[in-house]
Amino acid sequence: MRFFLFIFTQTLRNICHSWGVQLMTLLTVTLSVLIFSFFYLIYTNMLQAGEKIGEELRLTVYLDAQLSPAGQEEFIKKVNSFGKVEKIIFITPEQAFQRLTKQLGSDSDVLADLSPAFLPYSAEIYPHKDLRNLSRIKEFSDYLTNLPGTQKVQYGQAWVERFGHFIKLLRFIVIISGTLLILTTMFMVSYTLRLTLYARQDELKVLRYLGATNSYIKGPVLIEGFALGLFGSGLGLAALFFLFQWIKHHFSSAGFLGLFELRFLPMSDSAIILLGSIMLCTLGSLLSIRRLLKK
Amino acid sequence: MLETLNESLPPHDHPGLVEIVKVTKIYPPDVVALKNVSLRAEKGELIFLTGPSGAGKTTLLKLLCRQEIPTKGLIEIDGNDLNTLSDNAIQKLRQRIGVAYQDFKLLPRLSVFQNIAMPMEVQFKSLKEIRHRVTELLAKLGLSAKLNKPAGKLSRGEQQRIAIARAAANSPLLLLADEPTGNLDAGTTGLVMDLFRELNDNGSTIIIATHDESIYQGTNHRKFELQQGELF
Ligand SMILES: Nc1ncnc2c1ncn2[C@@H]1O[C@H](COP(=O)(O)OP(=O)(O)OP(=O)(O)O)[C@@H](O)[C@H]1O
Ligand SMILES: [Mg+2]
Repeated sequence: MRFFLFIFTQTLRNICHSWGVQLMTLLTVTLSVLIFSFFYLIYTNMLQAGEKIGEELRLTVYLDAQLSPAGQEEFIKKVNSFGKVEKIIFITPEQAFQRLTKQLGSDSDVLADLSPAFLPYSAEIYPHKDLRNLSRIKEFSDYLTNLPGTQKVQYGQAWVERFGHFIKLLRFIVIISGTLLILTTMFMVSYTLRLTLYARQDELKVLRYLGATNSYIKGPVLIEGFALGLFGSGLGLAALFFLFQWIKHHFSSAGFLGLFELRFLPMSDSAIILLGSIMLCTLGSLLSIRRLLKK
Repeated sequence: MLETLNESLPPHDHPGLVEIVKVTKIYPPDVVALKNVSLRAEKGELIFLTGPSGAGKTTLLKLLCRQEIPTKGLIEIDGNDLNTLSDNAIQKLRQRIGVAYQDFKLLPRLSVFQNIAMPMEVQFKSLKEIRHRVTELLAKLGLSAKLNKPAGKLSRGEQQRIAIARAAANSPLLLLADEPTGNLDAGTTGLVMDLFRELNDNGSTIIIATHDESIYQGTNHRKFELQQGELF
């Protein structure tokens, strides 16, 4: 008990000794955590949006002519031979015309002079979850295009593709900022702590002469690293939370963001970021002292 | 090697607290500071080490607290062969050895209190105990008024007494004092010697390296003289 009390007061003493540098390090850790978790937050929200869009994803196959019941069976078989689908609905020009009228609502009078005959026969395919990723959907669409009797396949290609690229870019940014987070926290922490240790070199020497054990000298430094990680990432996550609330409050009603609800990082992810930063900073402090204790 | 060392051990049936056996110390490249020195100190003994400047007094004390490593020979303290002790065991042993260095080795920016408290903190003594001991020592050495002054702002003689107080703080098993009265007048020398005598009465073994004849004349403690690295 007294051991911990001593290590703790010793830590406080060290921090007071060089609070300027320590504060800078703390802010660096905070900023790295904030940047990383900000991109990560966007990423998770985008993934969620993607999933929602994916649920509504369907491919429309425009057909040359109406399929006989046997032809429909054949078509279903061929589609299923590529991959699992949830359902296939065959749509006649009349049904399509009705749907169009409904969608146009009060503007439906533009259709007044037209007959359903200008619309083609079509089949709507709702792919199974397994098929709902970008490259599979593309392959699927190519496959459907090559089926006999197919005129054209549509699934909002451009949009889905762009969204997929966006997700890829985000993933890249998350990885980059994550790496930067690791590097900055580890090196900043070990570098500053080493600086403060050099400043205390005389004291460490005297402590050795007085019989201080390695753990007596190491303990406070490790706790410093631990505290830097805890408070740095805690502050970073808190800052992210307030930023998130602000964004949500100001933008949630606007167009695109209105499509889905913004969500903060789940508890588990925040905990992992917190624990990870603590680990990195403690590791950094260990690095700083290892070389010093060797001699 | 070890056999010849053992043969040369004086015929005692129990080991002394300090056993120095045929120790030679050569500072690289070729400064012979100690030549084949053997010395034994009993538990609870007070010993004076004299000799001209450069004779090797400081070197001998540094070997005892493992600040330097002997080139040849054996040193045992309280039954521990210093050559075979692990780093951690050396640190543990150092906790039981108080050293008042010739150059003090105080931390000038820390207060007098913090300096003297350091060896007690290293042993995780309670703050209450530390406060009590530090004020007691300062009173004995006539420095009560300096408790919260930075050590660097004190005079040489005051710093010397702080160094002695730090060495005495834990009432060590072995106390090494290197020229402890070099900067002191007769009055304060008396205070320091009283403190040593008290520690000695309470069981500390003490080795004092000194030029100051006044502190060993008329005492019946053993006295050794070093000359050019050889002990007489
Ligand atoms: N670190 C060192 N490197 C090289 N030579 C050293 C070192 N320390 C001491 N010496 C030499 O070893 C010899 C003994 O030095 P030491 O300091 O033990 O003398 P001393 O008896 O304590 O002298 P003084 O009474 O002046 O303090 C001297 O010749 C000194 O120059
Ligand atoms: Mg000397």
